[in-house]
Amino acid sequence: MSDFPVFFLHGLAYGGLLFLVSAGLTLVFGMMNVLNFAHAAMYMLGAYFSYTILQMTGQFWLSLMVCPLLLFVIGAVIERFLLRRVHVFGHVHELLLTFGLAYIITEVVKWVWGNFPLAVNVGGFLGGTVEIFGITYPLYRIFIFASAALVGIMMALILYRTRLGIILRAAVNDSQMVNALGFNVPLVFMGVFAFGAALSGFAGVIAGPLLSTYPGMANEILIDAFVVIVVGGFGSLGGAVVASLIIGELQSFGVLLFPKLSLALVYLLMSIVLIIKPSGLFGEKQ
Amino acid sequence: MTAKKNRPYLFIAFLFALGAVMPVLLRQYHLNMLTEIIVFALYAVSYNLLLGYAGLLSFGHAMFFGMGAFTVAVSLIHIPGLSLWGAIGLAIAMTTVVGFVTGGLLLRHKGAYFALLTLAFNALFYAVATKWHTVTGGDDGLSVTRPDLSLGFTTISMAGLTSFYYFTLVIIGAVIVFCWYFTQTAMGQTVLMMRENEERMKFLGYNTNISRLILFTFTGAVAGLAGAFYTLHFQFCSQSAISVDMTTTVLLMTFVGGTGTFWGPMMGALVYVVLQNYLSDITDRWPLFMGLIFVFMVLFIPGGLTQIIQSIRSLFSGRNGTDKSLAVKEGSS
Repeated sequence: MSDFPVFFLHGLAYGGLLFLVSAGLTLVFGMMNVLNFAHAAMYMLGAYFSYTILQMTGQFWLSLMVCPLLLFVIGAVIERFLLRRVHVFGHVHELLLTFGLAYIITEVVKWVWGNFPLAVNVGGFLGGTVEIFGITYPLYRIFIFASAALVGIMMALILYRTRLGIILRAAVNDSQMVNALGFNVPLVFMGVFAFGAALSGFAGVIAGPLLSTYPGMANEILIDAFVVIVVGGFGSLGGAVVASLIIGELQSFGVLLFPKLSLALVYLLMSIVLIIKPSGLFGEKQ
Repeated sequence: MTAKKNRPYLFIAFLFALGAVMPVLLRQYHLNMLTEIIVFALYAVSYNLLLGYAGLLSFGHAMFFGMGAFTVAVSLIHIPGLSLWGAIGLAIAMTTVVGFVTGGLLLRHKGAYFALLTLAFNALFYAVATKWHTVTGGDDGLSVTRPDLSLGFTTISMAGLTSFYYFTLVIIGAVIVFCWYFTQTAMGQTVLMMRENEERMKFLGYNTNISRLILFTFTGAVAGLAGAFYTLHFQFCSQSAISVDMTTTVLLMTFVGGTGTFWGPMMGALVYVVLQNYLSDITDRWPLFMGLIFVFMVLFIPGGLTQIIQSIRSLFSGRNGTDKSLAVKEGSS
């Protein structure tokens, strides 16, 4: 089993990426009770923006800064002018809207960038390798896991250790009361949605060099992120961490051990969780 | 009162009569399109039973449609001498079983969670259809020839488009009428009332979980039948029949037509197929236009085309021109 450490690290890297995607999804769902089907499409948009910026400037760090900002603005606009409008019609319309937006974003991406995979190179020292566990390993995959860990810790600190976090958690419980106490709840929700979009953009930039950038990448990660949410439990950040790592490792070792069944393993896990504990490993009872 | 009660029946008879004369009026190309419209109308009607009547937003309806389509294709290829009825029957049986099993798992959740799970399951079926190359043909798809239709005393060749069109019109028309009849039965009304107030239905002694499972299985089987006719119509079945795009298609049709009435989604299927045919001639970007139309309707006309027609009607007649006998909301408030 000399391959073991390599596949373990692969799993960590993919798990880290999955966490970055599903954290935004689960945050928006936990706070606003909106399941954002366009989340993965925004992630794809982030990857394509990053591709363009890298083509123009070749600066990976620059695109890592700029793309989340762009997605933040896009997310804020979507929440303010579209999502808020359909909120009164109820839940189904919110889902339909985000689903329609995902459809449109995918079509726009095909239109602007074409319907073929694009290769993204990081360059610089991130493109190099590093000695770990006695094997030579691409530094970039370590970087993915490290940034996912950093984002996770920062989100936890903001939510549970700051004043803003208290307002956010209170707004989830009783938004009317928080509003009456003088906080601008609609602004808070806009900020949460925009932050979720920025997070997806960040994940997109990170994913570009790891996976190829192509119009189908959104649906591919969306399904895995959904499985993470189902397994971890809806709206639970801790659940997202654990489930992302499980799915990441499962995907990675599945390819090693049962190449033909690797895909089925993930669904098998989801079905088992659904049967035994429908609310997910860390989810609250509905 | 009797005149009002007869109106749906007259409407149905009118549609059948209209369908019967179409082969005389239309050229081959348009008759082809009309057959496609009828197939998709059934698919949209089955979807609307979930979305419009039960309030269940599923993103996985294509798994039934595709399952029906693949069952017909695979069984016609592997079982020599299988009759048309046999292939269709197998498709319905398969989708009924799949609907029952997946429904048992998926219906443990409601709302957003249900929507998410259906999408994930659809992706699973799509992945299987793509990877299981020996049976489904993978990327290449499967080509079949329509077997002849045996009616016991005589056999009708299904090779020509006109005879297949009549077969589609009769069978699918009958099933659509049955779906409409289903909404009028006690079971159909139960589903409506469950959407409005599930707690109260539980208190009244209804087992809402079982009702929902029956409805889910029923709509799955109906979508499977639509899928079976899809394969028979194109004499071809590829993995696109089971893809999430096929779910998007039915969602667009149903929503554009209007989820508020039984007949709305059929109109949506008509508009969608016609638009698709003409827009795809003009531009390669027609899915983008369909997406924009969809989001525009979600934002401003949530009732779909039916809502537009009704408001035009009331504009002319000067009263609230809602035809109670066609409205889904009947008996709800």
